[in-house]
Amino acid sequence: MAGSWPEPGSGLLDHYEPARGFDEAFESDGSARGVYRRIVERFGELDAGEAQRLERLVADEFRRQGITFTVYSEEEGTERIWPMDLFPRLISAVEWDELERGLSQRVAALNHFLADLYSGEGAAIADGVVPRWLVVSSRGFERNAMGIDVPHGAHCNIAGIDVVRDDGGRYRVLEDNLRNPSGISYVIENRAAMAKACSWLFYDHAVQPVEQYGRMLRSALESMAPGGQESPHVVVLTPGIFNAAYFEHAFLARSMGVELVEGRDLVVDDGTVYARTIEGLIAVDVIYRRIDDVFLDPVSFRPDSTLGVPGLLGALRAGTVTVCNAIGNGAADDKAVYPYVPDLIRYYLGAEPIIDNVPTYMMWDADQRAEVLGRLDELVVKPVGESGGYGVLIGPHASDEELAAARAAIDADPRNWIVQEVVQLSSLPSFTQERLEPRHVDLRPFVLTGERTEVFPGGLTRVAMRRGSLIVNSSQGGGSKDTWVLTPEYS
Amino acid sequence: MILARHADALFWVGRYLERTEATVRCLDYAANSIIHLRSDEARIEVEQLIKTLGLESVAAPLGSLGGRRQLFAFLLSDTANPGSVLSAVTAIRERLRSTRERIPIELWEEANGLYLRFREFGDIELPPERLHETLLMVRRACLAISGVLNEGMRRDEGYEFILIGRMIERSVFTVGLLVAGYTDPRGAIDATRMLRLTSSLQAYHRRHGHAPDPEGVVRYLLAGTDLPRSVLSCLLRAEESLRGVGSVAGALDGPRRRAGLLRARLELGEIEEAMAQEPLPVLSELHWDLTEVASEIAAGVVPPLGFPTASSEYLRPGGARWDAGPMPAGPSAEPGRGLSPEIDP
Repeated sequence: MAGSWPEPGSGLLDHYEPARGFDEAFESDGSARGVYRRIVERFGELDAGEAQRLERLVADEFRRQGITFTVYSEEEGTERIWPMDLFPRLISAVEWDELERGLSQRVAALNHFLADLYSGEGAAIADGVVPRWLVVSSRGFERNAMGIDVPHGAHCNIAGIDVVRDDGGRYRVLEDNLRNPSGISYVIENRAAMAKACSWLFYDHAVQPVEQYGRMLRSALESMAPGGQESPHVVVLTPGIFNAAYFEHAFLARSMGVELVEGRDLVVDDGTVYARTIEGLIAVDVIYRRIDDVFLDPVSFRPDSTLGVPGLLGALRAGTVTVCNAIGNGAADDKAVYPYVPDLIRYYLGAEPIIDNVPTYMMWDADQRAEVLGRLDELVVKPVGESGGYGVLIGPHASDEELAAARAAIDADPRNWIVQEVVQLSSLPSFTQERLEPRHVDLRPFVLTGERTEVFPGGLTRVAMRRGSLIVNSSQGGGSKDTWVLTPEYS
Repeated sequence: MILARHADALFWVGRYLERTEATVRCLDYAANSIIHLRSDEARIEVEQLIKTLGLESVAAPLGSLGGRRQLFAFLLSDTANPGSVLSAVTAIRERLRSTRERIPIELWEEANGLYLRFREFGDIELPPERLHETLLMVRRACLAISGVLNEGMRRDEGYEFILIGRMIERSVFTVGLLVAGYTDPRGAIDATRMLRLTSSLQAYHRRHGHAPDPEGVVRYLLAGTDLPRSVLSCLLRAEESLRGVGSVAGALDGPRRRAGLLRARLELGEIEEAMAQEPLPVLSELHWDLTEVASEIAAGVVPPLGFPTASSEYLRPGGARWDAGPMPAGPSAEPGRGLSPEIDP
C-alpha cells in the first residue's frame, strides 16, 4: 500500500486503508481516481480540527433549519439532526449518462408493467413473463386499483431506485422503490449545506445543480392532471407533523409553491375532491400523496384510518383527480417481482437491461432453493415484504442459529423470501472525527415520470457509519453525502 | 387561496406571538418593580399581573406565587401554564411547522431558533441572574420575527391572519390591563405602570408631556391614534386585514362588523363618555366584546369537520351560509373566554 498513497503528514488521509470491495476515490495502487484527484488534494490540506469545525457548521445549519429525521424506536429525543459527511461523492458525466439511461429504461418498463397489470389486460402475465400467482399474492397488489385510468400510463411518477457498485465498480440495482420513496429533500439540503460550509471545494469542479427539483416535480405532477387541463390545482398530502418525513413533505410543497394538506383538509363531494379553504371548497386536480395506500381512503381501505380522505377512491374512478404515485405500485416493487425486472425490460422495450440486478435466487423455485439453502452463510437473505433494511440476514455475519432459523422460515413460506449474492458495497473516504476512513455507500437516484421521464442528477448517497458495516439506512444509524454529478466539460 | 387549517394556525401564531411579548414585558416590569416593594405589596403586584394576563384560573391551584422565583418560573418556563412564555413559544413553533411551506424560511428559522435557545435556558432551573438575558433573548427574537413578517412575507391571506391575531390579542391585553387596574386593591390607577406594561411610556411623554394623569392615560391606551398599541389602532388594522381575506358566504363578516362597531364607538368617543359614569362595567363589556371577536374569527375560519353527506350543501362554493357549527375537536378547538386566557391547545 506504499507508493502513491498520500504521504504521512498530509493530514486527514494519513494511513488511509481501503476497505474490501471497490474504492470509488482511489485506484488499487493508491492513486486518486481521475474525478477525485482535486477533492483528495483539497482534503489533504485540511487538518482534523478544521474538518471538525466544518462539521459543526453543517450540523448547526441543519439544526437551525430543523432538518431532522425521526427514529421511532427511541424514546426521548426522537428527532435527530440529519448526518452529512463532508467528503462528497463524485459521478463523472460519462458514468452518469449510462446510469441515467439505465434508470429511465428500468422505470419505463416498470410503468409499462403496472399499466398492463391494472388495465386488466395482463399481457406480461399471459405471455408467461411473470407468474400470475406471484403478482396477485403480492401484498402491494391492490385490487381496488384495477381499471382506474392513469394519465400517460404513468403509475410511478416518483421512483427511487437504489443502486450499488459491485467489486468491479459496476452499478447494479439493489431495490426499486415505487411507492413513496423519500430522501430527495436531504439531497437538496446537503448541497445547500456543502455550498455554505465548503464553497471552496466547488471552485475546481463544474457540478450539476440540484435546486431545480421543485420545478421538475411540479411539471411532472401537472402533466398528470385529468383531462390534460392547464394550470391544475396540485397539492401534497401528508400524514402530518408527527410523520418521520414531515420535513420533506413541507420542503416539497414549498419548493413547488403548492399547499401541503392533511386528510382533514380535503373532502370529497359528488365525485370531486375539494380543499377546505376559507373561501369554501376549491377543487383539487392532482394529489402528490405521501401516505401509504392503505391509509388513503377509509371507505375502501383501512376503515380506522384518520389520515386519508373518505371517498377518494370514488373520485379517482370518476376521473376527476389523479393520485401520484398511483395506488397499487407495491405490486411492482415487491422484492419477489425484482428478479423478473430484466425480463420485463426485454418484454416491453425489446432491449437488454443497461443496469443489471444483483444475482438473485427465488425461493419459490425449487431448483434455485435447493441450490442455495446449503450455503446461506455466503449469501444475503431478504424477506420480500419489508423495507428499510429490516429482516435482512447477511449470511457471512450470521450465527448458526440465525442461519437455521432462516432456512426454516424459507421452507415454511418460500414466496416470502429471496436470496442474493453478497455485494460488497463500494466505499468512499468518510470523516470519522480524526481522519478519513473508507465507509460503504449506496445511491438512491430519483426518476420523475409524467408526460415524459427525467432522471434527477445525482441522488441520495447513504453511507454506513461503522467500518465494514453494510447498513446505510438512516433509521439504523447511517449517514449521507452530497452527490455531485459533474458536467461533461469537466469530466 | 388559504387552507382553513392554515388560516387558523396563523391566526394563533399572531396571538401567541403577541402574548409572548406581553408576558415578557410583564416579567421585565415585575423583575424591576418588585425589588422595591414590601412583601405584601409584592404579593398584590404579582396577583395583578396574573389577573392582567388572564391566568388566574391556572395560577389559583398553585397557591401563593408571592415569591419572585416562583412567579418567574410560572410565567417563563412552566409548561403546565399554557400562558407561560415557553408554552407560547412552543405553540408558535408547532403552528409554523404545520404551515411551513407557505411562510418565509427565515420566519421558521427565527421561531425554531427561539424555541431551541429557550429550551437551553428553560430546561434548567432558571437562576435569577439569568432572567434578564433570557428576557432580552426572547424580546430580540420576537423583534426579529416581526422584522421577517414585515419585510419578508408575502402580503397574502396568511400574513393577514397573523396580523389579525396580533391585533386582537394586543387589544385584549390592553383592555385586560385596564380592567385589572380599575379593580386594583391598592386604589388609584398607577398611570406609569400602565404605560410601562404596554411599552407606551415614551410615546405618551412625547405626546402629552411628563406628568401622566390616570384618565388621560386610559384615554390614550384606548383611543390614541398615534399609538400602535392603542385599542383603536389595533381594531383599525384588524378591520382592514379582515376586509382583505375573502371568506365563504361572509363567515368573517360578523367579527368584522363587531370590530368595526367597537372601533366606531372608540373613535366617536362613545366609550369614553360611558366610562365617565362607571368605567369598570364599560371596560369589562369591551373586553368581552373583543374576546367574542376573536372567537368569531376562529369559528369563521374553520369549517365544520365531518363527512360530506350531511353538510355538502353548506360546503359548496357559493352555497348557503357557512355553518360555523360546533367547533371540531382536536387541534383547532379553542375553549375559554372572558378573563381567562384563550389557549389554542
